[in-house]
Amino acid sequence: MSGKLPVREEEPGEVDFSKTTRLLLELKDTSELMVDLAYSALLYDNEDIADEIFSLEEVADDLEKDVQLSAMEDLKEHKDVKKGFVLIRLATAMEKIADAAVTIADVVLRDIERNPVVCLSLRDSKVRITTVTVERESILAGRRIGENKIASKSGMWIIAIRKDRKYYYGPDENTMISEGDLLLARGPKEGESILREMARKKRR
Amino acid sequence: MKNLVVKDKSHLRHRSKVKHEEIEYEARSVREILTEMKDISELITDLAYSALVLDSREIAEEVRELEARMDRLNYQIRLTALIASRSMEDAESLTGILTVASAAENISNAAGDIVDLIDEEIDTRPFLPFILRDADEKFNVARISPESELAGKTIADSKIGTRTGAIVIAVNRRSGWIFDPSKDFRLRGNDLLIVRGTQDGYNNLQKLSKHAGQFTEKAGGPR
Repeated sequence: MSGKLPVREEEPGEVDFSKTTRLLLELKDTSELMVDLAYSALLYDNEDIADEIFSLEEVADDLEKDVQLSAMEDLKEHKDVKKGFVLIRLATAMEKIADAAVTIADVVLRDIERNPVVCLSLRDSKVRITTVTVERESILAGRRIGENKIASKSGMWIIAIRKDRKYYYGPDENTMISEGDLLLARGPKEGESILREMARKKRR
Repeated sequence: MKNLVVKDKSHLRHRSKVKHEEIEYEARSVREILTEMKDISELITDLAYSALVLDSREIAEEVRELEARMDRLNYQIRLTALIASRSMEDAESLTGILTVASAAENISNAAGDIVDLIDEEIDTRPFLPFILRDADEKFNVARISPESELAGKTIADSKIGTRTGAIVIAVNRRSGWIFDPSKDFRLRGNDLLIVRGTQDGYNNLQKLSKHAGQFTEKAGGPR
């Protein structure tokens, strides 16, 4: 029902990381996306997003297990026990962060009357979550996220895109944005208006 | 490291006594405490990863202090919520808030676990910077040259956040570390900035922090 997290692909010229390192990085990005989504689900009382966190939790669980296995496999060749230990401990900490996101998602799904204080707190926060609709012929429409350098121009990080009724989570720089898309983004308060401006600004 | 978290709680007893007297103020305070907890939960993971990247015990120490503060905040928010709760409805909605608060605390505990790895034997660590620098959002450092247009400006005036997308999470200068600097914080020449952001944004920041005069982005950057 939802878009899959983009798989990290090898870029030419990229440093060749070990399998363990790649898995660990993927776990880090997944756990951070989950926390962003958790606070978003809470802010908008959105059960679709909360559901996605539960799916991502399974991904995170698998990744943690894969890091552990892979780190142990590495020992056959490198015999660097301390390195394996550090990688496994890091994976455990990242999984703990993912679990915290699930705890928050659980609050959203529990269907209790939402306390308005939660929203107010989230809006007072330094890192803000916001939604922006991409207008017709905007400079963002019909282009990939990376083409507009959204993150480095506005400071806003896009955590999900809603196309029609369907959500795509954790987009990357190659993800295409179309008119009418709803962008869920997080970043500093000043970045919000810049992103909004980009979503409105017409192409020349 | 765990000892740092289980601290003497006498100061909490004192605070709770003060709060018993002002219940109205308490109701607003849940909001304030929760905001602070959320802010810390985001800052603390950034700091924890950058402590590993930079192999910095000072940043690790800050993470431990924030972890201890989070522990106190979680205690305070529970006290405050219990005082504010008058009915079943109150209790239900406050339970949600307390669950979110403890999730934020769990994040800070995980950050504490991450910086504990800094105490491991030194020969295992150099590989960590490589690991963390390839993540989607990277941690990087930039030195502000005294000639840079950033020197002497506040973070707000420099517009670093919206011109480079980089978020300054810590500043190191001769007098020590400044963590999570506010918008009014004035940058100086020779400051070392620890930032989180994209590689592209970091490249822009490097130009900004080196060169004098106005740095403008090619073709219609936001100004």
